[in-house]
Amino acid sequence: MMLEIKSLHARPKDGREILKGIDLTVEAGEVHAIMGPNGSGKSTLASVLAGREGYEITEGSITYLGRDLLDMPADERAREGVFLAFQYPVEIPGVNNMYFLRAALNAARRHRGEPELDAGQFLRAVRAKLKLLEISEDLMQRAVNVGFSGGEKKRNEIFQMAMLEPRLAILDETDSGLDIDALRLVARGVNELRAPDRAIVMITHYQRLLSHVEPDRVHVLQGGRIVESGDKSLAAELERRGYGAVDAA
Amino acid sequence: MNAVVDFSVKPEARPYLDVFAETADEPDWLREARRISLNRFAELGFPTRRSENWRYLDLRSLERHPMLPSVMGQPMGVPSGLVLADSAARIVLIDGRFAPELSRLDLPDGCWFGSTRTAIEKRPDLVRAFAIDAGTEHPFASLSAAFFANGFVLEVGYGVSLDSPIEIVHLASGAGDASLHTRNMIELCHGSRATVVETYAGDGKYWRNDFALWRIEHEAALTRVALVEEAREATHFEDIDAVLLSERAKLDAFSLLLGGGTVRQEISVTVAGVDAECRIDGAFVVAGLEETNIVTAIDHGLPGGRTSELIKGVAVDQGHGAFQGKIIVRERAQKTDARQTSRNLILGRRASIDTKPELEILTDDVKCAHGASVGELDEAALFYLRARGIPTHEARRLLIEGFLREPIEGIADPAIREHLLGRLSLRLARLEDA
Repeated sequence: MMLEIKSLHARPKDGREILKGIDLTVEAGEVHAIMGPNGSGKSTLASVLAGREGYEITEGSITYLGRDLLDMPADERAREGVFLAFQYPVEIPGVNNMYFLRAALNAARRHRGEPELDAGQFLRAVRAKLKLLEISEDLMQRAVNVGFSGGEKKRNEIFQMAMLEPRLAILDETDSGLDIDALRLVARGVNELRAPDRAIVMITHYQRLLSHVEPDRVHVLQGGRIVESGDKSLAAELERRGYGAVDAA
Repeated sequence: MNAVVDFSVKPEARPYLDVFAETADEPDWLREARRISLNRFAELGFPTRRSENWRYLDLRSLERHPMLPSVMGQPMGVPSGLVLADSAARIVLIDGRFAPELSRLDLPDGCWFGSTRTAIEKRPDLVRAFAIDAGTEHPFASLSAAFFANGFVLEVGYGVSLDSPIEIVHLASGAGDASLHTRNMIELCHGSRATVVETYAGDGKYWRNDFALWRIEHEAALTRVALVEEAREATHFEDIDAVLLSERAKLDAFSLLLGGGTVRQEISVTVAGVDAECRIDGAFVVAGLEETNIVTAIDHGLPGGRTSELIKGVAVDQGHGAFQGKIIVRERAQKTDARQTSRNLILGRRASIDTKPELEILTDDVKCAHGASVGELDEAALFYLRARGIPTHEARRLLIEGFLREPIEGIADPAIREHLLGRLSLRLARLEDA
């Protein structure tokens, strides 16, 4: 089992409980979509999975590849293969994209006991993935996300995911704010990463990414709980009837 | 022989007066200059915190424990990696004394480059310009004028453009817990250009006390880069008087201050030419108990001058940094464009940074802007890096480095830029051992 969330309750420090008992199981090779209206707890779930500080787990557990995920600091989770594509990628002036990415990649490689990539190997890998996402190479010579358009930032997230080859990828509202071309590129990047030993969890408000990346399972998150699960047809149904109807159900 | 004085001597100056010895082999005018300077120091004594220019440094320990001028240098090698891989010429000064076996003096025709001692003989015209210190607020400059062992003089002749940097390496052996005094000069004649890189390093305990005069003539451009990596127990005082003498003279000064118990750099620029340009950028790191103080004063006397300053500082542990930047725009200096920025990061409860801009604008038609900030590491950025697997300490280092890169990236010469970025990385890597 890739990921098992059991009865997860969480709240921001000094805040009200937002996640109120999430149960979710994700197997290797699967793509899951977690959909829900604003304020349902989608981003809190993404933050808790990635290990962002400032949240308190009041109950429940998260098991990732047989290990207690909540026991690992954020950077260790990432080195163990958990990847979060940020809803709002952070601009970091002065830190060069390539330098940053190489540091990230080599941190994971060291962690796995693999040799670090030399400059040439790294550059070849970068070029191949940049092409996939149609990102220009000069963007990589800039500081991380500085001066990037909204779409470029999101593509950069997927590009980083492609470079880091995670076991478990969590995409937090990656489709928001994308025009149709960027959406298509992002979807291509995600589809390219579908693999039998990898799981992808897409957190989204809308159904539109799901028409490009077909999920195996769709869950509806509402009021801090998963209130409904189904196959891909659930996404289309939600699009038709809206989240309100689930509420009533 | 003791100097004869007819005024009250500040007690902290007394030990220095007592060891002053006339140098028989020097010309009369220089012996006279030394005596005058010594008397001025005796009269002024050490600056106190009441003096605005010294308010951020604590000199009491130096006052209580005199560090008398070193009487002879100790042989030392140049640490590998500290200096540029490639330079046009190099002077190495050890304990303030010229080390000919480590130096290369060959420069194109029209230039004069050598030790101050040689210049006393060969170019007294230049040495006379900086032998006496006339300032009243600069007691340590007077002290250096009284005691200087040596230094360097560079004159770049009319229209000469030097492409490769000229390097000065100031080393200190720490022998005898002494003070090391040098006086130096850079003169750029009409239309000339040069880049001078000065590197400071040493072992043990010493007090470096250097003075420099820079004169930049009509359409000449000086780039001066300072890399300070002094020993943990060292005191480093640098007092620079720069004069932009004539139209479109240009000064680019950059300082990377990476270490030393107490580091103080004071640069005073007199803008005495129309449309002259002055840029002073810098970055500093203070850790442990270190303190660093950058003091700049840019005095615009004529129209059309441009000044820009960008100083970035990082304080960790109990480090203390301070930047004082004065910009004066006088009545005649219309159309002056001056901007000053001081950005700082404080990492640690007991670290501190003071920043004090001071603008004196005496005319209307000017643009003057300044901004200062003191903040902490961006938590969102830190999490972003960690979420990509970069360990926390490395992520912090990346962010600190990213923060300090900006002024360094303003250096035009790529080899110097890379060299400084490399030294910065090494310094930040050492922070984590602490």
